[in-house]
Amino acid sequence: MRGIYLVGGYPDRETFNECVHSVIESGFDFLEIGIPFNDPIADGPVIARAIHEALENGAAPDQVMDDILLLKNTEIKKYVMTYANVVYSYGIKKFSGKMADYLDGVIIPDLPNRMSRLFYDNGFDIPVVPFATLETRLSDIDMINRSKSEIIYFVGVRGITGASGNLESSELLEKIRMLKDNTDKKVIIGFGIKTRDDAVRALRIGDGFVVGTEAVKRQKKPDELKSYLNSLM
Amino acid sequence: MRATDGFYGQYGGQFVPEILIPALDELERAYQDFKNNDGSIKLLQRYLNEYAGRPTPVYYAKNISEKYGFGLYLKREDLLHTGAHKINNTIGQVLLAVSMKKKRVIAETGAGQHGVATATAAALFGLTCRIYMGSLDVERQMPNVKKMRLLGAEVVPVDEGLRTLKDAISASLKDWVTNVTGTHYLLGSVAGPHPFPEIVAYFQSVIGREALDYFRLQGFLPDCVIACVGGGSNALGIFQGFLELSAVELIGVEAGGRSLDPGQNAATLTLGSRGIFQGALSYLLQDGFCQVRDVHSVSAGLDYAGVGPQHSFLKDSGRVTYTCVFDGQALNAFHELTRLEGILPALESAHAVAYALEHAQDLRGKRVLVNLSGRGDKDLGIIEKYMGKEA
Repeated sequence: MRGIYLVGGYPDRETFNECVHSVIESGFDFLEIGIPFNDPIADGPVIARAIHEALENGAAPDQVMDDILLLKNTEIKKYVMTYANVVYSYGIKKFSGKMADYLDGVIIPDLPNRMSRLFYDNGFDIPVVPFATLETRLSDIDMINRSKSEIIYFVGVRGITGASGNLESSELLEKIRMLKDNTDKKVIIGFGIKTRDDAVRALRIGDGFVVGTEAVKRQKKPDELKSYLNSLM
Repeated sequence: MRATDGFYGQYGGQFVPEILIPALDELERAYQDFKNNDGSIKLLQRYLNEYAGRPTPVYYAKNISEKYGFGLYLKREDLLHTGAHKINNTIGQVLLAVSMKKKRVIAETGAGQHGVATATAAALFGLTCRIYMGSLDVERQMPNVKKMRLLGAEVVPVDEGLRTLKDAISASLKDWVTNVTGTHYLLGSVAGPHPFPEIVAYFQSVIGREALDYFRLQGFLPDCVIACVGGGSNALGIFQGFLELSAVELIGVEAGGRSLDPGQNAATLTLGSRGIFQGALSYLLQDGFCQVRDVHSVSAGLDYAGVGPQHSFLKDSGRVTYTCVFDGQALNAFHELTRLEGILPALESAHAVAYALEHAQDLRGKRVLVNLSGRGDKDLGIIEKYMGKEA
């Protein structure tokens, strides 16, 4: 599974939607769309700056969600990536009611696996994608398996988005092996995927990848994004 | 106050990236071991007494009391080493860091008091120390920046957002995510993910315990206890001594800033709504689009959009009343305390004093205990600037 992350509403609504269509046309399997939140504690400078600029240009949650609804007749899988407060303050049930039929899951970097019950217990019907990291212990696997999501988001680096990872490290390979041995979910590698070589390697050691920072860097220039996306395939 | 599964009622939790969860579990274990070990507690007590200067006195402020018509008692945390209550927590947490064999500590700071207290404890125990501080706070609290550097800490100015406390906490969390092995995040308030609110409240509970001992010796109780609330550590520290004593009214004073208009204050419990911010579900100043609001206060230690989860719980339960005073009222209280008692309070603590002075009529004849959480030397630049404006 090959995926691309884009910051919703960045740099403006029109260009963002153009970028979305580039991702679809390039043949990616899933789209991860960010609903901007102004305290993005898991994001490095590139994505953090994009989020702030999107917010200045009016990228409110409803606007980004409405743009996702427009994609309802497309085959591509759709995930929302946002921070816990966006869903919580929008209304956990209200968010779910609006988006459940259109999303394959939500990825919430400040909602660790053990906290997802706050959402499920309050009427959230969208799968919350579980995380695995370089620090994940065998005892954490049960919690991961309990999720309704078909994928695991594997954070391949100790760091924030945009950090460089090492897809060759034995530590990373061992964690992925531990996951593969203990779950049937697809292991999607996020963080640290920049080039075609990274992408190929991620598909070999896991079940897929998602590219964020390198795509967001090109969101202002859809032509450049398009050729970058093609280079990954 | 103890959390159940990391929550106080509906507030609290651990809203941080998954990669930090094992570190939070490790911290929780180290904290439980510490609390249940007499040797650890004795060691902490020794440092607090012989190094930090505990116990701190309660002072009856006679001149203010006579002028305003109520009895003002000040819990003198301003007399502690490094000038504020923050050192109670930093010595405690550095002992936890050492027990976890962590060689590096990081911390956020707003006014610089927590940064100085962290740098001090790190120097004392030979740990590497990095402090994140919003670059606006670096400008307005320069003496503290210089102190931290002299103490051997690296001070990293944070240029994101409003360049204040929120941005410093975000930067600290990002550092911790990157360096989680070997680094302890020495959080300075009762905020952030569990177990931080509980740990910081535990280390600050010494304030309330000592204050209660003082009043027991006098043979009476205060009618009310007042403390300023930014993240809420000094307030929770003193309130814990009196939570069970229902006759004692507890009042938390937030920063009303310039006005109650959005973006002009930091009155989270007074004006906010429930939200998830920097690790915890708690009250939060946010707009109608789920975004954290900009905040303002004359005091660099109070301008925070969030607040510790225990305070949200105590607000909803009605045990503590939360309110706010404006910048000008805090500055007035600073001058009153300085001129009448010869005590320069931190601008944070001046908010608590200001509430008492502003409500002198209602408090007439009562005994009022104010937590004087820190001293004001660090604020002289800000105060001179405001005096210049008035002149």
